[in-house]
Amino acid sequence: MTLRPFRMVLLLATSLIPLALVAIFVFLAHYSWPAIRFNGLGFLGGHTWSLGNLYANPVERHGQQVPIGANYGILVFIVGTLSTSAIALAIAIPVSLGVAIFLAEGLNARLRPVLSFIVELLAAVPSVVYGLWGYSVLTPLIARDIGPALRGSLGRIIPFFGGSIGSGYGLLAASLVLALMVVPIIAATVRDGLARVPAETKEAAYALGATHFEVVRRAMLPMVRSNIIGACILGLGRALGETMAVLMVSGGALNYFPNNIYSPVTTMASFIVSQLDSALQDPTGMAVRSLAEIALILFIIAVITNMLARFLTGSSRHVSSL
Amino acid sequence: MQKFCLTQGLRTTMAAALIATAGTFGAGSVAVAKTINIMETGSTLLYPLFNLWVPVYHHIRSNVRINTQGTGSGTGIAEAISGVAQIGASDAYMSDMQVKQNPDILNIPLAISAQTINYNVPGLNNIHLKLNGPVLAGIYDGQIRDWNNPAIARLNPGVRLPAHTITPIHRTDGSGDTFIFSQYLSFSTPTWNDRVGYGTTISWPAVQGGLGAIGNPGMVQATSQTPYSIAYIGVSFTREVERAHLGTAMIENRAGQFLLPTPRTVEPAAQQLVAKTPRDERISLVFAPGKQSYPIINYEYAMVNARQADGATATALRDFLNWTVSLEGGNAPRFLKRVRFIALPPRISALSREQIAKIH
Repeated sequence: MTLRPFRMVLLLATSLIPLALVAIFVFLAHYSWPAIRFNGLGFLGGHTWSLGNLYANPVERHGQQVPIGANYGILVFIVGTLSTSAIALAIAIPVSLGVAIFLAEGLNARLRPVLSFIVELLAAVPSVVYGLWGYSVLTPLIARDIGPALRGSLGRIIPFFGGSIGSGYGLLAASLVLALMVVPIIAATVRDGLARVPAETKEAAYALGATHFEVVRRAMLPMVRSNIIGACILGLGRALGETMAVLMVSGGALNYFPNNIYSPVTTMASFIVSQLDSALQDPTGMAVRSLAEIALILFIIAVITNMLARFLTGSSRHVSSL
Repeated sequence: MQKFCLTQGLRTTMAAALIATAGTFGAGSVAVAKTINIMETGSTLLYPLFNLWVPVYHHIRSNVRINTQGTGSGTGIAEAISGVAQIGASDAYMSDMQVKQNPDILNIPLAISAQTINYNVPGLNNIHLKLNGPVLAGIYDGQIRDWNNPAIARLNPGVRLPAHTITPIHRTDGSGDTFIFSQYLSFSTPTWNDRVGYGTTISWPAVQGGLGAIGNPGMVQATSQTPYSIAYIGVSFTREVERAHLGTAMIENRAGQFLLPTPRTVEPAAQQLVAKTPRDERISLVFAPGKQSYPIINYEYAMVNARQADGATATALRDFLNWTVSLEGGNAPRFLKRVRFIALPPRISALSREQIAKIH
């Protein structure tokens, strides 16, 4: 009985988080409602984004005031978001697993906390710093060295790595920057998991005659499977929503799909921030509401990936606890 | 004794603080003037000029504190309307619809700016390639894909053009530079006008490999990093363009002349439209008639709400804006030369003053 006020406070604090989530969703849905009605399903399937003629008088279409020629289709940006995140994870997962195993197993006990701290520090670097690095160092490097090397090797087998390299801004630059941002997140999380694997388990594996590699591969990694999946989803979440760093290196493609890994792309998050300034000039307000609709879609994609992660980790917990 | 020293020290500090807040340093006046804060935000093209103006103006009126921000023309207009900023800087004027919705917002020209068309074609950056509206429209809508296209060769007889794909670079952020560049394409090329049109951001036709860059600095970097690319860049970045060894194109005007933007070609272009400038001063200067008129120039605007919150702010705004458009003040060559802007012609600065007088 005496705990009741405490419980009330806890309940209030706990319910704030789901309430905020619901509030964001409701706000986005409400704010973008005119755009949702105007755009329909063509919003997801269309690949032309045009604010229309903002200097002519608006016309009425589908019962809404919109600028002449306004057309909002975001498939290009959805493709940009998903492709940069997928390539980033494809690079980041093996690297960060290597980093995590090295930090947990391959390093002597005195250096371990120092290097682990540095990896965690990397996760705390603001994304714009990675963006600036990508902008001034990585893109010229891709244009001059990485691009030609990739084209000369992988490009001979896989057409997606061949073709024109262009300026260095594009899918590859954005994916590499994202990968760099995601590696410390995954590595730090997985390392924590590996460090918590009971010594008995490892000793038991050694006692059976396993080599160090086999201990890691057969005894330790299966135990942290849910950690790995959770960490990857955490990394994916960061990659999907990353704005500034991607904006600085992605090359801002509009109205066309990437035809190779060097092509310029645009992601949903970076498109919102780069277009807000212009959208504010639309006197009908439809442009800003359509940007809000992009935010809503991005929000839904993020929720789906998180639920997927829950599902995956939930089903694997049974395996690892056996 | 010690206590006395302390109190005296304190008293001196307080007096100094009082004088400082009153802001009457050298004037020797005892009148206490209130500090007035003015917020300026918007166009990144005007931003360097405001940063030249503000410290100098602070010496003239030390009680007026002006904060500057380069956020983009769209933000400038939006924040002038919302009242967050007292001055919204913009390279583009407001549309009729925006004016109808916000009748109190004045569009006040402060100076005249121009734009260069720059390219990075190895071997040709030291000469001035000749380009016109239809060719640029073709490059930006994907009809003209290579530098040795007959349409470009026809304008540049005797120049060995490389057989390389052109990378057109555009602004990703909303920009007055996009506004005047797309106006040049629209006014000179009917098909562009029908299919794309103009605005601070436009739906760039799909050109495989076409690149977007952020801000004028981003345009310079992307162009210098991308061989065989072409871009449009605000004239206040000419120094950066020269440092990056980019080529500057001669652009065809309405009379069929190919020109570079210099005071000798920007001033005549502005003169052509002085008489036509309406009282609200919303007019495009792009593609002006006249043999010596450089085709891509524009007024740089301050968006100001005619109804200010209080009289003191209104007075401070009027004084500052009147100072910026006067030839002895902000339109003096020592400011404008550094950003390569051109002063307002006398009739235009008179019109701007008329609008400034409406601020109350």
